[in-house]
Formats: sequence, structure tokens, C-alpha cells
Amino acid sequence: MQGKATQPETAARPAALSGVRVIDMSGWSGQYCGKQFADLGADVILVEPLDGSSVRRDGPFIGGSASIERSIPFAYYNAGKRSVALDLNVTDGQQVFKHLVRGADLLIESEKPGLMASRGLDFSTLAAEAPNLVMTSITPFGQTGPYAHYECDDIVALALGGLLYLGGYGDQPTAVHGNQAYLAAAQFASVASMMALLGASSGSAGNGAQHIDISVQECVVMGLETAIQFYDLERNVRTRGSGQLSMAGVGVYRCRDGEIYLMAGGIASTRFWENTVRWMMDGGVADAAQLLEEKWQSHDYLATPEARETFNSLFKPFAARHDKLALYEEGQARRIPICPVRTPKDILESRQLAFRNFFVTQHHPATNRLMIVPGAPYRLSATPWKAGSGAPRLGEHTNEILEGLGYDAVTRAALLKAKVIN
Amino acid sequence: MSPLPLEGIRVADFTWIGAGSFTTKLLADHGADVVKIESKERMDSLRSSRPYKDGIPGINRSGYFADRNSSKRSITLNLKTEGGQALARRLIGESDVVANNFTPGTMEKFGLGYEAVRKIKKDVIYIAMSMQGDTGPESKYLGYGLTIGALTGIQYLSGLPEREPVGTGTNFADHIPNPCHAAFALLAALHHRRRTGEGQYIDVAQTEPTIALLGPTIMDFSVNGTVVERTGNQRAPVCPHGVFPCSGSDRWIAISVGTARAWRSLAEVIGVTEWLQDPNLATGAGRWQRRMEIEAHLAEVTKRWLAEELMARLQEAGVAAGAVNTAADVVDRDPQLKHRGHWVTLNHPEMGPSIYNAPPFRIAGAPPVPRRPAPLLGQHTDEVCGKVFGISESEIETLRRAGALT
Repeated sequence: MQGKATQPETAARPAALSGVRVIDMSGWSGQYCGKQFADLGADVILVEPLDGSSVRRDGPFIGGSASIERSIPFAYYNAGKRSVALDLNVTDGQQVFKHLVRGADLLIESEKPGLMASRGLDFSTLAAEAPNLVMTSITPFGQTGPYAHYECDDIVALALGGLLYLGGYGDQPTAVHGNQAYLAAAQFASVASMMALLGASSGSAGNGAQHIDISVQECVVMGLETAIQFYDLERNVRTRGSGQLSMAGVGVYRCRDGEIYLMAGGIASTRFWENTVRWMMDGGVADAAQLLEEKWQSHDYLATPEARETFNSLFKPFAARHDKLALYEEGQARRIPICPVRTPKDILESRQLAFRNFFVTQHHPATNRLMIVPGAPYRLSATPWKAGSGAPRLGEHTNEILEGLGYDAVTRAALLKAKVIN
Repeated sequence: MSPLPLEGIRVADFTWIGAGSFTTKLLADHGADVVKIESKERMDSLRSSRPYKDGIPGINRSGYFADRNSSKRSITLNLKTEGGQALARRLIGESDVVANNFTPGTMEKFGLGYEAVRKIKKDVIYIAMSMQGDTGPESKYLGYGLTIGALTGIQYLSGLPEREPVGTGTNFADHIPNPCHAAFALLAALHHRRRTGEGQYIDVAQTEPTIALLGPTIMDFSVNGTVVERTGNQRAPVCPHGVFPCSGSDRWIAISVGTARAWRSLAEVIGVTEWLQDPNLATGAGRWQRRMEIEAHLAEVTKRWLAEELMARLQEAGVAAGAVNTAADVVDRDPQLKHRGHWVTLNHPEMGPSIYNAPPFRIAGAPPVPRRPAPLLGQHTDEVCGKVFGISESEIETLRRAGALT
């Protein structure tokens, strides 16, 4: 046990991205990018259509009842942003948007290719408004190409990006949980946008605005581990399950209250194996002694069905007698790579995450609720991550932002009446 | 053409294996001078991981290593010698970033913990990417990519409800969440340093970015008390939504029908027009009620199609559909990745021409990346000693004989 975690006094510290102005008009594939900027101190304005971001219509919903002010994904991915509701399909809305962009360093958008151009808001037009703008465009397949206008969804991007084929069971691929294709794009958007901003500030990017073209499919391809190299170098097409070593002592085992993941074999250490065997023996599994025989030190033997069956016949009943946390703590104390297959509840109850104050409480203004949400995914000592205020209501900041742009009350009222803003 | 965005930034790179090496690769591909520190005694263990060029093992033949280390330079210092540590300190003195993904305490053993490094380079940005972070009761627990998947929930949540949880079939956090989060944090810290001159320490636990990505699922429990279970390929309330078998061995198509228009188009393309006669199926809610029946029927029909043909027909009709591509498909056949120029062939000194991922984004006007294939072990030792440290050839020989350079 190390010393107690220091909870930095964030209020007094500067933010890494203070003064960076971001316009985020994206959806699922970009809102996490805007959140990453907001949480490090950038001023992020979410531009939504008059009926709200499409993410507002995705559940789960706070309290279970569907409403655009109760979407949990929206609340999570848009905390710390301000919301402007603006119709980009009418000329007056496009003018307001150009004014907004004039003061921005970064624009994140995920419209279908060509849509921004049809509104007169293509990159070159916006670059004329804001000569140092970084415009990050995220689309399922990229701005051009044979699939540029294909319809997409998270599972379709996982399929065409090759990750779906690797996940699941021998008789059926299954898609990873939680919109990971869209989120992969949002994460790479953050990296690319930050690189471009940094390049612009050093002058290395030359002068002028920069346009970044991100493909969700290509972001998924980055997650194929060794599959590409197995094919390129050994002409071997990786299939499901082949990424995991199907060896004795490696994999998911049921225990009394769930499952654990064990890696006793396979990694280049016979120490883990021996530690695991001694653990079973100390736990009263006398027959486990046979696993110390010399043949068990061979990886080739560990991979045989006979070895797997023998190990399983001893370890399965042992694991089934214990709880996952007990197996985790006792196994780790014996220097064995073992851990619980955690549920969301387990994660919320983790003593390690609690020690690190990982979860934070955030107020949700639209429902006046306090919510426990994941906190800092990185800890920067001088410029700490900081939870933003709760996600905005639709158009909550339209008035103040337009006022800041110099639109007087009469003009704002006219725009509202003409249904350009909300 | 403009220079690359990170030119002029140097990284003293102590990372190895998965997530750490991928993080610094993102920087190296975009112009940073990333100097990877290994030694013959302690090399990156990915160098001895399959696959190998032509299946022949060798420390300079691993594709796993190559892909994670493009555009970097490799020097071999023995950090267990005083001379090796002195050279590491010299490199740090010439660097902007110091990166590692060891268990907490390892860098301190080499005299290269953050406090020591700050004395060498006051404004350094120091990033540590241990498994569970550098504080807390489990900070020194053992783990690997697959145990990270289990700890983050992604394993439990992915797969069929009635079968074993399967995750992604890969060490997912190593390839996307951790490198992307770490790189973003580093870049933000560089931005702060450029404005203020202040460096800092960054702690990334290899579990926390993935848990952050799963925010809505975690909150469904913390806010609503809902216990989220695996749902296979179903995503309420969309129906049909899933993966359906096609003709051929282990060929599949992913289909997602989120609108009434897409539903009509699907029925028409596959010729199951009786669906359109049934008013109960006209709404998403109605279809969700009868999803078992609909998806079983769809799976019977898709078997008669080639995945690529059905995808093309469905997409023409405006239905989100995609063939479940294998590695061979994405490399050899996918026309969109070809159009994007995603696969880059680089001539590696020992492996010969081999393919690398281009980054999944294009910065208009920037030169093509990655710039160089992965380095041979110690390929740049003399070059870095000479050009960065200003050490003469005879001094290099002396250091080599003393075992500081290996």
C-alpha cells in the first residue's frame, strides 16, 4: 500500500487548454473529442440543430423516460460544453455560424460529405473567416472514395474495419459493446486536432488553416492488433479466438459470484504457473501437485487439449468455491496475473479506483440530479483534468453566445421568431 | 508541402510492448524524433512475438514490433550500468518528453524517476503509463492486455448473454483507448509548456481511459441502478441489427436498420415483401417486439448472398450494411481503404517491403506518414551518440567495451 492519494486542488491550477476555442457540431463520432477538450479547459460550444443533437435521442435515459434532456450518453459526452441551437440550413443561420467560427481555433464536425459545402460552409469558406482554423471532419469512410456516401452505424464500421471478425465465438462474431467504432474516431480526432493546433502554434504547419479528414472505418482498422501483420508476413488470416492463447491456465473461469480472468500459463514465466499450482495445493487441491511435473513447463504441452482438460478439472472447482474479489486479491498477493471480469457495478465499487478518486459527482442541470460519472482518464500534475459543469440544455447558451458575438436583443428576437435559433 | 506538426520535438522513449509503444509511434509518425531505448539484455519483448517475416523468428523480424515502432530510432543502452544511465540522462537532457509504461517504481530503480529527471530537464513532460496508475492498493498488481480488458468491463459487456464473455478478441485498450488518451494528454501538456514554459508529470492508468469511454454504461448503473448485461449484436431499440451469415465459409454481413425507409428498402432488396404487408412491423417498436423472428428469417435469406454483393445492393438502397471483413479483405480487397491509401509499404532493412498502417486521419497538405519502417535493435546507437550527444567514435567504442552501449 502506497501513501494516500493526493487530490490536487484543481481550482487554483491553470488548465492546459484554457483560451482554446472549440466549436463542436458533431454527433456520436465526435462528441467525446469535444469533451476531451472541454475537460482540459477549452471553451467548447456545442452547435445543435433546433431539435437537438441526435445523441439526445439515444438511451439509456435518466430515470428511464425518453426525453432530449434526459439522455445519459448526451449528458456524459457533453458535460462542460455550452449549447447553441442554430439552423444551419438557412442563410441567416449560416451567417451566425460563420461569426462563431471566426473566433474559433477548432471546428469538429461529422456531417455527411458534401453537406457543409451545400450550406456554403465548406473548409475553404470557413478558412477565409478564420485563417488559423483547424477543421476536423469525421465521417464513416472519409470525405471521398467509393464508400464515402455509404450509410453507416457503429456495427457496420466495426465490420468493414475488420475488428468485428476477430470478436465473438467460433460460430458467430459479436460486436464490442458501447459504440467503440464511433469512440475510436472521436479519440483519433482529439489526437489529430491537438497535433494540428500544436503545429499551428509552432509555425511548423506553415501559415493558414488546416483540414483534417478522419474515417471511422480506418480508426477501427488501427485496432486489429497483429491481424494485418499475420496476413502480410505469414499469410495467416487471424480468426476469432486466435488472439487469445488457448492454453491451459489462460482464460475466463467461473467463480462463486461471477468470472475471473487467469493468465497462469502462456506468458514467458513458469513462475506464474508454479504460483498458481501452489495456491491450489494450499487450498486443499492435493491433486494439483501433478501440475508441477516437468512436462507442464512446455508451452506446446500447455496448448494440448489434454493439458487444458487436466488443468480445468482441478482449477474450475477451486475457482467455483471462491468469490472473484477474494481470488483477485489472493492470486495477486501470490504474484499471479489474475483479475475479476468486472461488471459496471464492480467497477464502481473498485477500491483501486476509489483510492484514486476516479469517479466524480456531476450535477445535471436539466434534471437537477447528482450523477456519479467517470473522471480523469489522465492525470496532469500542473494542469489537472477537471469535470465540467453538467451538460447543457438544448440552446441553453444561445442568447449569451449570440450576445457575445455582438447580436443585440432586437436582432436575437428576430432570429428566434424566424426560427433560425432556439 | 508543410513540415510535419511535431517536428522539433524529441522523445526519450522507455516504453515497450503495447500501449506505450503505440503512443510514441503516433508522435514519431508525425515528425517527433522518438529515440527508443532498449538493450540487448532487455529488449522490447514484442521483438520476440509473432508474427515474423516468413515465419522465421528473429529480433528484427516481428510484425507486431514493427507496426508499433514505425518512424522511431533505436539505441541500445544498458540501464543496469552507470555508463548506460549516464547516457540515458544525456538523452533526457536533449528531450522534451520522457515516456514509460513500466510498473510504478521501475524508472526510479534506474535513477530515472520524475524527480530525478526534472533535475536534468526542468521543463520535461514525463508520462508514466502503468497498468492501474501510480497510486493505490492495486498499483503494483500484475496484468496484461487481456486482464486490462477484464478490469475495464469491456470483456464482461461484449458477447452473448448466455455464453462466456469474450470482449473484442484483442487487447483492445492497448491499441486505441490508451495510446489515444496518452497522446492527447502529452500534446495538451506540450501546448501548455509552449505557452508557459512549464513541464509536468502525467499519470495514465491503462484501465481508466477505457472505463471513461464506457461512461454511459457505467452511469446506467450509477444513475438508474440498471444492471447492463451482454446483448450479443442487439442494440435496443434498433431492429434488425446484427451480423448475418452469407454464402461461403465464415462470411457475414452486418446490417443495422434504424429507419422506416431503411426497413422498406431491406425488405425490397432481399425480396421479403410480406414484411411490408404487416403493419405491426412498420414501426421500430413493433419490430423490436418480434426481433427473434425477424432476425432468424433475415439470417435464412442472407445465406443465399455473397456478403459484398448484398452490401452493395443494400447500400444502393440506403441501408447501413457492411461485409464482415477479414484481415485479408481489409488489406487486399476493401476499395475504400485503397482509395484512402491506408496501407503503406515500407522497406525494412531485414524484413524487406512490409505493410504499415497509415494514421486514420489525413491532415491536408502534410507529407505522407509513417516516415520510416521500425528500427533494427540498436540501429541508431552510433548516430544518436554522434549527432545528439556529440560523442566521438573512439568514445563510443570505449562505452561499448564498458558495456554501457550494447
